[in-house]
Amino acid sequence: MKARGRPLPPQRPATPPTLRQRLTAANRRCTPYLYISPFFLLFLITGLFPLLFTGWVAVHRWDLIMGQGEFVGLDNFRRVLGSPDFWKSTRNTFSIFLLSSVPQVILAITIAALLNFNLRGRTFWRMGVLLPYVVAPVAVVLIFSNLFADRFGVINSLLDLVGIAPVRWHSEVLPSHLAIATMVNFRWTGYNTLIFLAAMQAIPRDLYEAAAVDGANRVRQFFSVTVPMLRPTIIFVVITSTIGGLQIFDEPRLYDQYGRGGADGQWRTLTIHLYELGWTQSDFGRASAVAVLLFLLIVAIGLVNFTITRRIATAGGHR
Amino acid sequence: MRPTRTTFTAVSALSVLSLALVACGGDAESSDRDSDGPITLTVATFNEFGYEELLKEYDALHDNITVRHTKADTADNARNALRSSLGANAGAADIEAVEVDWLTEFMQYPDKFVDLADPAVEGRWLDWKTEAATTEDGQLIGYGTDIGPEAVCYRADLVGAAGLPADREGFAEFIGDTWDSYFAAGKEFVANSDAAWFDSASALWQGMINQVEVPFEEPDGTVIATTNPQIKDLYEQVLQASTADGLSAGLGQWSQDWSESFQRDSFATMLCPGWMLGVIEGNAAGVDGWDVANVFPGGGGNWGGSYLTVPAQGDHIEEAKALAAWLTAPEQQLKAFAAKGTFPSQVDALDSPELLDSTHAFFNDAPTGQILVDRATAVTMQPYKGPNYFLINTALVDALTRVDVDGTDDAASSWAKFVRDVEALG
Amino acid sequence: MKTYVPLTREDRQARRNAGIDRPSWIVYGCLAAVLLGSAFPIWWSFLIASHDSTILARNSFPMIPGGNFWSNAREVMDSVPFWRAVGNSILVSTSVSLSVVFFSTLAGYAFAKLRFRGSGPLLVFVIATMAIPTQLGVVPLFQVMAQLGWTGQLHAVIVPGLVKAFGVFWMTQYIRSALPDELIEAAQVDGCSQFRTFWSIAVPAALPAMWMLGLFTFVATWTDFFWPFIVLGAGNPTLPVALQQLQAAHFVNYSLVLTGACLATIPLLALFFVAGRQLVSGIMQGAVKQ
Repeated sequence: MKARGRPLPPQRPATPPTLRQRLTAANRRCTPYLYISPFFLLFLITGLFPLLFTGWVAVHRWDLIMGQGEFVGLDNFRRVLGSPDFWKSTRNTFSIFLLSSVPQVILAITIAALLNFNLRGRTFWRMGVLLPYVVAPVAVVLIFSNLFADRFGVINSLLDLVGIAPVRWHSEVLPSHLAIATMVNFRWTGYNTLIFLAAMQAIPRDLYEAAAVDGANRVRQFFSVTVPMLRPTIIFVVITSTIGGLQIFDEPRLYDQYGRGGADGQWRTLTIHLYELGWTQSDFGRASAVAVLLFLLIVAIGLVNFTITRRIATAGGHR
Repeated sequence: MRPTRTTFTAVSALSVLSLALVACGGDAESSDRDSDGPITLTVATFNEFGYEELLKEYDALHDNITVRHTKADTADNARNALRSSLGANAGAADIEAVEVDWLTEFMQYPDKFVDLADPAVEGRWLDWKTEAATTEDGQLIGYGTDIGPEAVCYRADLVGAAGLPADREGFAEFIGDTWDSYFAAGKEFVANSDAAWFDSASALWQGMINQVEVPFEEPDGTVIATTNPQIKDLYEQVLQASTADGLSAGLGQWSQDWSESFQRDSFATMLCPGWMLGVIEGNAAGVDGWDVANVFPGGGGNWGGSYLTVPAQGDHIEEAKALAAWLTAPEQQLKAFAAKGTFPSQVDALDSPELLDSTHAFFNDAPTGQILVDRATAVTMQPYKGPNYFLINTALVDALTRVDVDGTDDAASSWAKFVRDVEALG
Repeated sequence: MKTYVPLTREDRQARRNAGIDRPSWIVYGCLAAVLLGSAFPIWWSFLIASHDSTILARNSFPMIPGGNFWSNAREVMDSVPFWRAVGNSILVSTSVSLSVVFFSTLAGYAFAKLRFRGSGPLLVFVIATMAIPTQLGVVPLFQVMAQLGWTGQLHAVIVPGLVKAFGVFWMTQYIRSALPDELIEAAQVDGCSQFRTFWSIAVPAALPAMWMLGLFTFVATWTDFFWPFIVLGAGNPTLPVALQQLQAAHFVNYSLVLTGACLATIPLLALFFVAGRQLVSGIMQGAVKQ
């Protein structure tokens, strides 16, 4: 990614600058900073500062109502890491994330391949897959938790029709994760499909033609040309969904009426854990410790992703 | 062309834009700061207080006051929202409803609330109701609204079909007035019916825990939740009945399945404080056969009930106090009772003919007024609920749910998790 | 609304493909199934919303809408501050979108076309912040809002949304490729001021990308829940916050809950039918630019 702006042509030389010209020059030097300053100022105040300050809160006793208390060093971290709730939340977060990203990528690529045919009514189909994107997650989860109700939900009624025992969607760990992942997938698969579709259309045709000459059929072409060429896009999609996916809150929060992630923490995620500690138990210190840990987790995963991307980019060498 | 001026124009445009954005959000809230002109009072409640008509009435009575009512979905969310606004010193409504289970928690911050003590309202409520909201220094944090004297609601049709006494008196005698006799009756019922005896272990727990004098915390702050033998015994008793004896329908209280189950023949009895009558009527719309028995296992019991508080951060403290006093006056509480079954905590309301003569058509015309007054007199003591009552009881309800609804644990392992949860609160 | 001109590469390929890839009915069948899956939950919420709360007890698979939608809608509006929430959501989403678009275009133009010391590292910083979960600063951000007395008020939601790193990155990329340097030079030779150059040269060139950035920001802000839920509360909610208030009332009436879900979705569905094409090409264009 090139980061430097292109140089403007040299300004008119010769004659010693008048006052106005000097003002103009000064103005010209300042203008770019003026243009970018709103972003940086607002970002520093509302984004970076709170993030850094979280670290400060995390090393203090800090009550929601009573405010800052004594300095306690790493005590909050010790308590958070020592509690099984944290580890359970971490497990759930990863499990829901995997269940929502892996099938989603596979599904999105498949649908993108279908959309990549020369379809009649192209725009219609493309808009169709994007439809769920405009339903707010809160509405999605209200609809799906109705469908996934344990006793009288439609999905269990359907399963019953085909002779499958009802699944305890709100009691067991994996089914609850599946249900929540379904909501995430519902909303985002279409979006990612379009990203993959765009990437597919950017694949040069001669690669397919060469493969066809080698005797590869459609399916083979898909696996030997399309999928490898999509690798950077897959990584991009996975990275962007990591940042949001690991902070998942809306879906598990509204999955049942209590919002605590289940009586046994079956679907309690790290962000719910953070909210519960901070706003239900009024312990901002421990809530911040969770925030710091989750932050480190996301950054670590981001770095791993980044390294992998780099390796693939240098190894692949295309584009 | 004067570049510098345009630059300044740009900068000021930016600032104006940001300021405008900031300002436009605030208008709605700040426009009513003026104390002489018309003011808006906000009242925050949760679940059903039965205030809808009353607030319109108050609006009509006072030209300069507009009342805005905000209803939180659950008591849990209402509690969190109030905590947040107290912490922020902003954002609270002028009148905030507080439930008895988390009242003590908020009484830790008396200076966040207006002292509502006033000779005009002295003696208005049952003594224990007022005492619970009075700090050691004599500050009155909240005006009592309702209390939750408990009776037993039951499906007369299901009970009758099982060949058991289904009329009000006969049924009351059949289940007796101890938990043991109630469970024994349940075993007899489930032997003769496909339905369960009660809805949920955690619902029963609310009845039981409110009969324990010192449940989770000593008045000096010592947490005894995990060591109190009474708690452990009740825990085991209710789970024994729920799972081993199969009396529970295993529904998570307030869950979608729970609400839906009212439409089917899922269970036969429910503990019902006054405010529960409206809940049952709503969920069971169209179902015939509900009735109320004038009896309660373990004697009397009170479940829930609330207070109206006036946070000190408000702009219209005097007006808010006046509204709170009006809303909690016996006449108004009787209207709320008529609307949503919230049973009055006001002494004068208790012997009013309006209350005593009231019947409930949905519950087979049961004399619900008289029954609940009887159940209220049967309440002989009030448990001590410390500042952590709400959190500890939530953890315990979770423990019951794990066994009764989810089946992820047995009674012993779920208790171990409860012990751990309570220790983590520390 | 300005329609977006699709990628020429796409067109060319489509034309080239015309004779080769004539998909069979299987492809259409699969796609129809996908569409059904996308639309069914929305349809389901309308179905339940148009009956009363006892519908599922009477019929596990109601497939015909009932006649209760409007009475349910009225009840939803009575039980939560629905119109206030709609107004709040419109106000918040619009101001956030306008601000993000404006500030991003401004910064994007500076990064793409103006030369200044530190522009390289600063842009790298912008890109890096895209990967940082700033949401995790909620605890201090909440305290800041509390200090300012903003909790429960809309600017607590608007101000943190005023700028987005993604927007800056997106506009930088777009302006870099869509705005020829010669145009800027010409404007400067004509004696245009910096801001005038920006306003009358860069902005028109960047308009398609600005529309898209605005659209996506609007949708994202409209559907946002976590922060508004924490900082706003029941009294002054945005639509998603009001929606969750419906869910767990003591007496959960799922017809009402799903009516709420429907009502909250309608505005965005309308937007989708007007601007869905732009959303589609926005996503696809963004993907190619990565």
